Amino acid sequence: MSFEDKGGRGGRKGGERAQGGQRRSFFRRRRVCKFCVEKIDYISYRDMKLLAPFIPERGKIQPRRISGVCASHQRKLQLAIKRARQMALVPYVTE
Amino acid sequence: MSQSRQYELMYIVLPEVGEQELADLHQQVEVIVSRFGGTLDKTEAWGRRKLAYEIKRQREGTYVLDFITGPGEMVKELDRRLKVIDQVMRHLIVRVDEDVRIAERRRTEREAAVAKRRVARGLPPEAPDRFREDEPAGRNGELDAEDREGE
Repeated sequence: MSFEDKGGRGGRKGGERAQGGQRRSFFRRRRVCKFCVEKIDYISYRDMKLLAPFIPERGKIQPRRISGVCASHQRKLQLAIKRARQMALVPYVTE
Repeated sequence: MSQSRQYELMYIVLPEVGEQELADLHQQVEVIVSRFGGTLDKTEAWGRRKLAYEIKRQREGTYVLDFITGPGEMVKELDRRLKVIDQVMRHLIVRVDEDVRIAERRRTEREAAVAKRRVARGLPPEAPDRFREDEPAGRNGELDAEDREGE
């Protein structure tokens, strides 16, 4: 409801003010924490399927500002990824 | 006065180690666990898996996962012994009971809140089946067969 409204407005704004070259040139979908949405309370280091989307090619942990994960889940995710790294399930770095 | 706690032990064995030796290793773990009055609840053999990086010049390893209940001293001893055994490339012991308990509490709280909201709206406390937020099966770290192969 209100969610859709926001989206529509954001999109129009971007289109109209394209000449201005201001900071929001296109509409970006509001990011929500995947773990909150799916109601995942415990992030296990063994669950590769769950961790994989947060480990980009380079092997670094995806920052919150990009993935949209909330602070508390990011902390849990961070711990899980670090444990997975120890067990060579996930790389520390990849060239 | 040692409390019993739940742990997950995962260790990676050299890929050339055979079935028999693997069973021996498992036996060793079991002996330590039982000596401290703990129990080995479940074992998952992940089998051979590609490592994300080289360990001891190896690109592959055999993964074993044990679910253990026992006191903290047991973990200390397991840790020490696993470090000594050469066939074990790497191991990790993680305490899980606390996290699982917190997760469970969150879930019940959430369910209670949902029921309360529903009642406030004059609906029955339980949502019809198709809206139910059931925990998807195989969550909490269980891998599907396709995952285990490694890419």
